[in-house]
Amino acid sequence: MTAGPSRGRRYVMLLLLLCGFGIILFRLVTLQVLQAAELTARADRQHQKTVSFEGARGMVSDRHGKVLAMNVEVPSVFGVPTSLESPSTVARTLSPVLNVRSAELERKLRQDKSFVWLARKVEPEQGRRLEQLSLDGIGVVMEGRRFYPKGPLLAHVLGFSGMDGQGLEGLERRYDSHLHGEKRVTVLQRDALGRTVFPKGLAEQVPTPGHSLTLTVDEVIQYIAEKELEEAVTHSRAKSGTVIVMEPRSGAILALAISPRFDPNVVAALTPDRWRNRALTDTYEPGSTMKIVVAAAALEEKVMTPDSLVFGENGRMVIANTTIHDHEKQGWMTFSEVIQKSSNIGTAKAGMALGEQRLYRYLQAFGFGQRTEIDLPGEVSGLLKGPKDWGRRSLASISMGQEVGVTPLQMVAAVATLANGGVMMKPYVVSEVRDEKGRLLKEVLPQVKRRVVSPDTARMMTTMLEGVVTNGTGAKGAIPGFRVAGKTGTAQKIDPRTGAYSSTQFVGSFVGFVPAEAPRLAMIVILDEPQGEAWGGTVAAPVFSRVGEQVLNYLGVSREDTVKIALAMKDN
Amino acid sequence: MKALTIVAGVMLVFVFVWERVDVVRLGYQIERLKTQKVLLERERDQLQVKFSALTAPERIAKVATEKFGLVPPLQGQVLMVRAPEEVPSPPLPSVEQVRLARHISGGRVGE
Repeated sequence: MTAGPSRGRRYVMLLLLLCGFGIILFRLVTLQVLQAAELTARADRQHQKTVSFEGARGMVSDRHGKVLAMNVEVPSVFGVPTSLESPSTVARTLSPVLNVRSAELERKLRQDKSFVWLARKVEPEQGRRLEQLSLDGIGVVMEGRRFYPKGPLLAHVLGFSGMDGQGLEGLERRYDSHLHGEKRVTVLQRDALGRTVFPKGLAEQVPTPGHSLTLTVDEVIQYIAEKELEEAVTHSRAKSGTVIVMEPRSGAILALAISPRFDPNVVAALTPDRWRNRALTDTYEPGSTMKIVVAAAALEEKVMTPDSLVFGENGRMVIANTTIHDHEKQGWMTFSEVIQKSSNIGTAKAGMALGEQRLYRYLQAFGFGQRTEIDLPGEVSGLLKGPKDWGRRSLASISMGQEVGVTPLQMVAAVATLANGGVMMKPYVVSEVRDEKGRLLKEVLPQVKRRVVSPDTARMMTTMLEGVVTNGTGAKGAIPGFRVAGKTGTAQKIDPRTGAYSSTQFVGSFVGFVPAEAPRLAMIVILDEPQGEAWGGTVAAPVFSRVGEQVLNYLGVSREDTVKIALAMKDN
Repeated sequence: MKALTIVAGVMLVFVFVWERVDVVRLGYQIERLKTQKVLLERERDQLQVKFSALTAPERIAKVATEKFGLVPPLQGQVLMVRAPEEVPSPPLPSVEQVRLARHISGGRVGE
């Protein structure tokens, strides 16, 4: 036995082993060092799942917590065209479930894509039926859909949100930063079968939902306002209508109704004209309702008293080569009667007695020509020219509510100022913002804007405006058992073809407050282009009366206890 | 002593494996419960929407008038009464007292 071959074999063995280990080492270095990043990423892709979560959009409810808008998870249906054997058969099966034409579905399913949406945010029942069908290449995922369970109720204030949950109109848009939920990406671990085993950072999985809003609006008052407005618009064949109900002491909006209405659940086929909040975005010449402001300014500046005698010029007065008419010939009358009878000539004289600067100052003080700063989008400031741009007739015209553009909200806020003893409040619709656990994040308290006139002037104006309802043009605004203060307005519209005042197109309005001695409601009713009888006292005042009576009943206000409140306030 | 160490080592390994298995089992259980919670929350939200739609004033008014033949109260048919706990002693007030009290409180009855 020699050592040579044995040693040789040992060397060969050693060499083979070294080669083997060398190969293994090389492979290890390749896998663990050179390809480490790529392979780690591939492994992560296989056993981890990245999911994007979005918190539910916050809820909107009325002042009593009644839900007006909320999110619900509903099914969205998608297809994987590349995995389908017979798109036409699948399309025919899906068509009756999704209520989509078979040809449309087939067109989508024949696309050369690995993912197509077939129907997004469908009804839960449709999702359940699809799951029962269990079709290969068709899947369902859950997405948050915005629901407005009351349908058209308060739609112009609520607005609506888009398919991807972003606020597009109304409160949905104004408070989008509060309402939208948090977006968060989370990594989940998967086992060999693709099931989620244990999430990394369990607590981090659920993104925070959006904040909830509580409104000042009362859904019952809103319903009453919308119902009566719809009836009035239909009956008078008006183009549109607006009713705003406000709490004079706080500025809280209790109802804001626009006609025609729309359903925010179905906005795809509508134009912006339908969902525009005309109470803030549209201006109109207020006509005789502007006489309230002129009269209050005249009393405050003591150029008039309620008993001052004014000559009515027998219904005809020439100013700057133009003639102003009253609808009835008037001789001597008290200033109270000027307002009761809505005399253009009497009010023009009061305006002229005030002079340009003082009248302009009061128009501004009552909030005209500037936004009310209500927490809704799209508000305009109206049209109020400075005295340097006024013509020779402007003083008289503006006193009668011409040459000035106001929004319905500005007008009701101005009258609410008198109802509130001369103090103007800032109108608002959102009273509270709360987080997902119900914790109060923001509370909106009534905000005083300024004192506009003295309490004495406000009291005198209240008495004069009561006279409008008891003895004047606003008789149909009366509410049995209550003292109503208000003013009618009938304004001619500008005919866009001629640029002159139209003889057929009017805006009829009534603005006032009730109960006059301790006001709970300030309200404006506007009907745009009513057909036939267009007087504000005929078309708008009855709506004020009907809404006012129902709302006062609903709020539990009766004439007797109202008197007690007034006496208590006086005693204090 | 050696045997005891081995047994203790085996026990430790067994506890470790059991704990790992249990963690995985609990992980699956948590996932199931989370799925159940999501489904229940979804159902709750759907019921909330349904409830809100069914209690809309417009719908209630329609059902009240068309199905039950009710009409809105007329002037004078809505009465205010003092809430029972606020009624001052003694026992039952006279009719005149009720008429006076009905305008003071926020309670409401139909007549």
